[in-house]
Amino acid sequence: MQAIKVENLSKTFRVKRKEKGMRGSVKAIFHPQTEEIRAVNGISFSVKEGEMLAFIGPNGAGKSTTIKMLTGILYPDGGRVEVLGIDPTKKRKQLAYRIGTVFGQKEQLWTHLTPYDNFRFFGAIYDLSEQETEERIVELAERFELSGFIDTPVRNLSLGQRIRCEIVASLLHKPKVLFLDEPTIGLDPVVKENVRELIRQMNREEQTTIFLTSHDVGDIEKLCQRIIIVNDGQIVLDDSVDHLKHHYLEKKDISLEDIIVEIYKAQGEG
Amino acid sequence: MNRCNRKVAGTLPYRYGFGGRHKPWRKYTVIYKSVLLENLQYVANVALGFFSYFVFIYIYNRLWGYMYRSPEELIAGYTKEQMIWYVMMTEMLYFGANANVVAGEVARDIRGGNIAYLMNKPYHYTLYILARYTGEWSVRLPMYAVFAVLIGTALVGPLPHFQWITVPLMALCAVLGITINAVFKLCISLFSFWIEDTTPFQWIYNKLILVVGILFPVEIFPEILQPLLKLTPIYTVCYGPAKLIVDFSPEKCVEILAAQAVYLAVGSGLMLLIYRKGVKRLYVNGG
Repeated sequence: MQAIKVENLSKTFRVKRKEKGMRGSVKAIFHPQTEEIRAVNGISFSVKEGEMLAFIGPNGAGKSTTIKMLTGILYPDGGRVEVLGIDPTKKRKQLAYRIGTVFGQKEQLWTHLTPYDNFRFFGAIYDLSEQETEERIVELAERFELSGFIDTPVRNLSLGQRIRCEIVASLLHKPKVLFLDEPTIGLDPVVKENVRELIRQMNREEQTTIFLTSHDVGDIEKLCQRIIIVNDGQIVLDDSVDHLKHHYLEKKDISLEDIIVEIYKAQGEG
Repeated sequence: MNRCNRKVAGTLPYRYGFGGRHKPWRKYTVIYKSVLLENLQYVANVALGFFSYFVFIYIYNRLWGYMYRSPEELIAGYTKEQMIWYVMMTEMLYFGANANVVAGEVARDIRGGNIAYLMNKPYHYTLYILARYTGEWSVRLPMYAVFAVLIGTALVGPLPHFQWITVPLMALCAVLGITINAVFKLCISLFSFWIEDTTPFQWIYNKLILVVGILFPVEIFPEILQPLLKLTPIYTVCYGPAKLIVDFSPEKCVEILAAQAVYLAVGSGLMLLIYRKGVKRLYVNGG
């Protein structure tokens, strides 16, 4: 069964343009100028339940805009989206109960609360009963090894500890699809590996579908079976990680990072 | 004992303790409680605001002192004590229920894109903001109330004809007034979905509330204007609660509570409508 189905998805932003200097500022008051930017341009793809997909691309390629449309935050201009059979534009709240999101660059936890209090908070937000929340906290805290700092205010945690707590908070309600937006950004190699192992384990044990965006090739190589590369709002490659490596490595001895950079560059020149 | 090694059901102290599943208000109560806990850590900061409040009240006490020629004189139906207590009560609501969250923060959330990270949870964003705001003023307002009563008693003496039995109705009226104010300010902030800056509109609204309601009761304005003023939300936001505190009457109480119920219903409907229309225009880039 498909966890995510996207057909001809598009999103255009209108961006203000202003000429330089004071004259430009005054002119902009009377003759405001805007420019249309096509952030996502008719993309189509699907993701199977339990699949781990890397959705990558250079900065400004349309990755985050796509994630925001998949989670119901942004409304598409055209096309169709279905996540777990739900249209995010019509039933965002209903979908929110069934998906989880982790943004490596944006903390979702309340920093003055301890991880434990945060988990209780998120349990209530997701309508879990007291008992369900407690059971899930115990289970995840053990799996993610949080016992040493579960009662320390989040503001006093290291980045690695915080990211582990962010992931636990997003998993409390047992989401069927987890959107990970650069989950390992800023982490040291050991913690990165630890976080990746936990994501793998969770995917294996709970059959959670993973939709990952990351600039870290290690995340893609070690977690995902499939890779979609977007550039200028369009899909430029949709292939299995194994096939991609095999196809390129046959020709020359290069890493996956080199392959991805080569694809980005080829698209830039094209 | 480590929390992770404890037995699960029924053995841990439930810190929020709001019972079972599918109670739609449970999540908002939890948000309220979390903000309340956070703000209790900053009680000393709240106390620093008492100084500005005191200076304000002291100046108005002196001004009204010059306006009243004798202690028995009535201006717009208010004795000098009632007039000063009126200003003290409205200023208490203004200082104690400062609406930064519903004004500045919401506009910043929308313009800066932070709203994207708040919308992807199964709650309504506007109710989330109102729950947070309520958690904030629940700490500040009682502190200002105690301070207001202390300096009011010291400056002008106890409030004439005050009856403790009416306090619950006054409190209800004050809570409704604060909530209506928040709802209307939130409506203005939600226009950030369409326009760059809502600050000028907040400024106009604030000044209207300040002049017509906080500093002067409605009765002080020309009779021809009074019915119009009573049709504005200002009547229910600060005039109503303060009027009941200084000059309680059952008829006035019913009239103000009925007006508040209407304004709360209309304001909430408007807020939900603006949010529903605006969120489709959300522009969040980058990431």
